[in-house]
Amino acid sequence: MISKREYRRKRQADWTRFEALIHKVDNKGWKKLSGNDASQFSQLFREVCHDLSIVRTRDWGAGLTSYLNDLVTKGHNIFYKAPPTRSHDFFAFLSRGFPRIFRRNIGFFITAAAMFFLPLLITWIVVQNRPELATRILPVQQLDQMEDMYAEAEFEEFGTDRAAMGGFYVMNNVGIALRCFAMGVLLGTGTVYLLLTNGIVIGATFGYLIGKGHGENLLSFVVSHGSFELTAIAVAGGAGLMLGEAIVHPGQRTRIDSLRTRGLEAVQIAGGAAVMLMVAAMIEAFWSPAPIADEIKYTAGGMLWLLVILYLTLAGRGEEVA
Amino acid sequence: MSSLDLTSSDVPAIVELHSAIETPENVVLTYRLAGPALRLWAYVIDTVIRGIVLFVAAIVAEISEMAIEGVPMGLWLVLLFLMEWGYFAIFEGFFRGKTIGKHAMSIRVIQEAGYPISFWSALMRNFLRAADMIPLYGIGFISAFTSGKFRRLGDLAAGTVVIEERKVQLPREPIILEKIQPLSRTDIGTYVPPHKTLTLIEEFLQRRFVVTHQRGHELAARLAAVLAKKLNFQGEANFVEEYPMAFLARVYVTFHRTMNNDADEIHDHHPDQRQQAVAGEAMFTSP
Repeated sequence: MISKREYRRKRQADWTRFEALIHKVDNKGWKKLSGNDASQFSQLFREVCHDLSIVRTRDWGAGLTSYLNDLVTKGHNIFYKAPPTRSHDFFAFLSRGFPRIFRRNIGFFITAAAMFFLPLLITWIVVQNRPELATRILPVQQLDQMEDMYAEAEFEEFGTDRAAMGGFYVMNNVGIALRCFAMGVLLGTGTVYLLLTNGIVIGATFGYLIGKGHGENLLSFVVSHGSFELTAIAVAGGAGLMLGEAIVHPGQRTRIDSLRTRGLEAVQIAGGAAVMLMVAAMIEAFWSPAPIADEIKYTAGGMLWLLVILYLTLAGRGEEVA
Repeated sequence: MSSLDLTSSDVPAIVELHSAIETPENVVLTYRLAGPALRLWAYVIDTVIRGIVLFVAAIVAEISEMAIEGVPMGLWLVLLFLMEWGYFAIFEGFFRGKTIGKHAMSIRVIQEAGYPISFWSALMRNFLRAADMIPLYGIGFISAFTSGKFRRLGDLAAGTVVIEERKVQLPREPIILEKIQPLSRTDIGTYVPPHKTLTLIEEFLQRRFVVTHQRGHELAARLAAVLAKKLNFQGEANFVEEYPMAFLARVYVTFHRTMNNDADEIHDHHPDQRQQAVAGEAMFTSP
């Protein structure tokens, strides 16, 4: 049997070469690598793997083992690099992947939508009939502020800081939706809580403002972006419930395994919901407050609702299932 | 130390710092997991960077507000959103599992199977930060210490681990212990220490300056005692207790040829052992 020292002397040059190649790929990427280098890389990678097994089985010490282990680790990480994400993939995801995955898990969306829209509607109806009840849900200050905003005379001022408001809607609304998703990992409890509270708060706001007689201003304002925004919150909520369900009912898998497997679809749905909310933010900032006749806003709003429904139910249908 | 019995129940549980995976080449790779301290530092660095970027952007936005009202403010708010929800995910997703902070601490996120992190996994582990953060990363910490492999909830859902990337370095050639005399044949029995033990001694001698002399002494003492017993060492009394490192070195010198399967050449030396030992021990006191 060859001695450790001899083995080292024989193989060291190759190890150093492999190290150099790793550095090359790390700094320049595969594209700039010559064909010769690339084939050398895979050849050396396999050899170093073999060296590692030998050094391990012969017990030639932790120093040498960990050195080779790290070489192989780095090589492995480079060799099995995930293909780069391109913009083309992004659009394919939005036009086909996301709606398909959404439909595959539509039950979760329906559950989340019920948790969000039912409290919203109930609170809306109750508060509209007795506006003073809104003070039990929201602080009086905030209610007064909103009333000022939607009061006839002030309403036009909305348009002045549109871009700033757009930024705020992105930060606030997408943040709420993503939190709705993330909290699902707490056995679904966080998602349920956020869906219920958001539903109640929005319902109370609507009910209060309509009860106080600002209905026209409010509804013409929210009808357009509400399509994307309210739906997407329920979509993200559904994704959150998927996480909770994966942990609570893992089936044949371990809970962690189940979370990881089902989580992949959940996070994709959440990503799609985030994009929907960004669209909503743009509509809310630049279209909703525009000084346009209410009839046009209602028509456009109706079409947007239809668009959201058609997108989620039809996009990516009929093609080869991914 | 495999030669010591650690099966008694009063030994505390060992925290596993390594995670092993098997590659398609059928090689088992071990990863050293990044501990919470490193990850916390990386997080602190990232948070400071995010803070600075937002602060600078706020000043720029403030100045440009005069020219175009509203737009800079809106862009700044979008940036704020991106810093909160996108910073980590974008860096980890597109820079092979590293944020700036992680790069500074030389740690990296990878899939548990050893592959580079995928985009969706990066998104998942960082969306779930929102849950891990409650309160002050309390949930993340509890998860990290109970799930094994220091995985917070985001890691569990994304199937990722955070590993430490050491600097790859070939260990130095084993030291040549010319000054150390082998043990005299008359002082030992027929026992030949196994390969593993000799390798262990070699590693120990190579790294002896990593620890203080006293600690090295303590570490060596246990193994030296076991070996002396097995070798049935008849040399000078107290030598093993007083100079365990020197004893180990001498054991190594005596047997290291067997590691290379050469003919056993065990020399017959018997100079003044005490003097030898002191000279030997002196080697370990100063680099």
